[in-house]
Amino acid sequence: MTAPVSEAVSEAMFCSLLADGSVVTVTATRRARGGRADIKCSAPGAPALAARMQEVARLARHTEARYDSRDQVVISMDRAPGAQERDWELAVVLADRAVRGLLPPAAVPQLALGWSDGWHHGRIDGHDAGNPPAGALLGGPQHLRHLGALSGQPDVSASVSSARAWFPLHSGGINDSLCWVEVSVYPLAAGEAPDDEAIAAPGLDSARQHAVRQALAGARHFDGEAAPRWRTTVRFGQDGLHGNSYELALVLADRLARGREFLPRGRIIASGCSGAWHAGQVEGVEGLAPKCALIAREASAGDRVLLPRAWEADLPPGLRDALRAKGASLACVERIGLI
Amino acid sequence: MMFDLFKRMARAPAFDAAGLGTELLARPIAPGCTLPSGATGVAVDRSGRTRRISAGGRMQLLDGENGWCFHPGPYGCDLAPFAAAPEIGLRLHFAVDSPDPRVSQQRFDLFLASEGAGDLSLAGFAANIEAALQRELAQGNLDLPPCTTLDEWNAFRAGFNQLLYTRFGVTVDDCVPVDLRPGRDFAALLRARAVHDADEPYIGAETAPAAAALEVAGAAVAAVPGRARFDPAREDARALRRLFLELPCLMCRVRQAALPSGQDLFRQQQALLQRLDLVCLAASTMPALSLAAPGQPLAASQQLRRARHSVQAAAALDEAWALLARFELAEDRGLEALFDDADRIVANLEHATGERKLASAGEEA
Repeated sequence: MTAPVSEAVSEAMFCSLLADGSVVTVTATRRARGGRADIKCSAPGAPALAARMQEVARLARHTEARYDSRDQVVISMDRAPGAQERDWELAVVLADRAVRGLLPPAAVPQLALGWSDGWHHGRIDGHDAGNPPAGALLGGPQHLRHLGALSGQPDVSASVSSARAWFPLHSGGINDSLCWVEVSVYPLAAGEAPDDEAIAAPGLDSARQHAVRQALAGARHFDGEAAPRWRTTVRFGQDGLHGNSYELALVLADRLARGREFLPRGRIIASGCSGAWHAGQVEGVEGLAPKCALIAREASAGDRVLLPRAWEADLPPGLRDALRAKGASLACVERIGLI
Repeated sequence: MMFDLFKRMARAPAFDAAGLGTELLARPIAPGCTLPSGATGVAVDRSGRTRRISAGGRMQLLDGENGWCFHPGPYGCDLAPFAAAPEIGLRLHFAVDSPDPRVSQQRFDLFLASEGAGDLSLAGFAANIEAALQRELAQGNLDLPPCTTLDEWNAFRAGFNQLLYTRFGVTVDDCVPVDLRPGRDFAALLRARAVHDADEPYIGAETAPAAAALEVAGAAVAAVPGRARFDPAREDARALRRLFLELPCLMCRVRQAALPSGQDLFRQQQALLQRLDLVCLAASTMPALSLAAPGQPLAASQQLRRARHSVQAAAALDEAWALLARFELAEDRGLEALFDDADRIVANLEHATGERKLASAGEEA
């Protein structure tokens, strides 16, 4: 279910930065509509800005699948940005989504910077802040390109298709986290010969680059891709990977980016490797217990968890039900692709 | 006089059945024509009541009735369940089934009566099905996740079959996932998008390389959504006709389908039905699009606003049919969520029809 009304939060907060470096807090609350406008906005002493906030939030709602006329969302900023500043737009859009339960609730207000001229396409064009703090959500071509990218989905209007999948990164207890891998593909020009650089993974050492190329080439062979069609870039959310349990996530992100995989409503969270990607097989990896614990903690509504079939017998009891209660789903697979 | 009668009988117009059963599901038929073999006739009167005329018979229409002729199929088409994944799809085989004797009006007949306009082509019908499927998947009412397991696939199929039967009145013979690759090339689609993006800032200035790339991309260009003109009068009339004809049938089906077990759910259902009744009333007493008050024309911008609200109401109606399909499959424990969704959809219907009635947008913050 997407956001049953009874369970959704009634307040959501996001932060953004002003040009002078101070923090502005965007608060969204939800109440019964009672014949009023669907979105009401306010910023201290700036009615024109409030009108622009309402416009941004309304435009960004165009990409949502579900329309609900029962609620009014009230969005307010605790200080008014200057008329030329636009980095607050992303925070307004995200607050509007979070308060209706479309985004998982966060414990602390997250910093979000971004503006767009194409909110009605869900596109985020860029951000202005010079050197934003680490951990901030940034809009723009190098960062968050469109709203669907929050759950890793490819943009349906961009000419570069890129998708993300997440995998659990086990580094000994407290530092365990979900790390993403992003695959971007762009069609090779007609007649362009694919070279070694056709699959690039900037920032990785040569051994790992080779492993990434092997995995992708194998998985594409499994798809029956006779001639190479794509120029590919692979990026990871963190450096210093070890092991090869990222491979399943990598292969799935590649399939999503190439438009050859069904889309989950949330993120793909996968762990697994293979010695035979050309046959589409998925094999088990190390670290079942900590990874399952991490996934159970981090998964949110709509996520799709994919684990190797080899793990199925040893899964912690109750994991499946816990995930289902959160709105996520779990499957143990022995091969990728169509059933 | 007798002579005239014979003459008229003799020159009963011939019905062109070309394509019926392959590219065409249905086609309007003139009164007096003989139905081709294998095809069934449907007569629709002014208030939307329908009756069937069996194959091989003659279309004897009463005054004010329109005739349709449809072929039961089977038909086959390819669907893309996700707009962002064009190379993976579903191959669907469906048919318009023999009539269900338990209901007074077949759903497919209602579809023809309320949405039929000219020839009903297979491609257009498949596009309708695809839109309904994509919306249900995006809302999470149907699930088709990556690496679907057999159980998930069966649950999806059950929901999808029911959706098609409830919304369109067709039965699914077979539905399998397929690779659409040879026919639909994502790389070509992306190239076409790049050309499209490059074109956008410049109006009218089409450069030679862009035109060449457009030719290469061929069919893919058509997939870049075009900006068809929105004609308020036509869209409004279509949407209101749908509301007027389909809402009473929908309420009838809701009464039959969802028989809640507990007292609370029963009250909720009664409240929903009452609200739907009022929406029905609103739809059948809707003021004319182009008049603010009797004799006073309405500004074009307000007409556009009114038409958009009618289209929104029709979209909510689509969701309501999909919800009805879920009600028909539901077991007792999932009912609360379904009633919540029903509440949302009815609220959207009330909102859209209410806004459609207003002569000018009068919304306060």
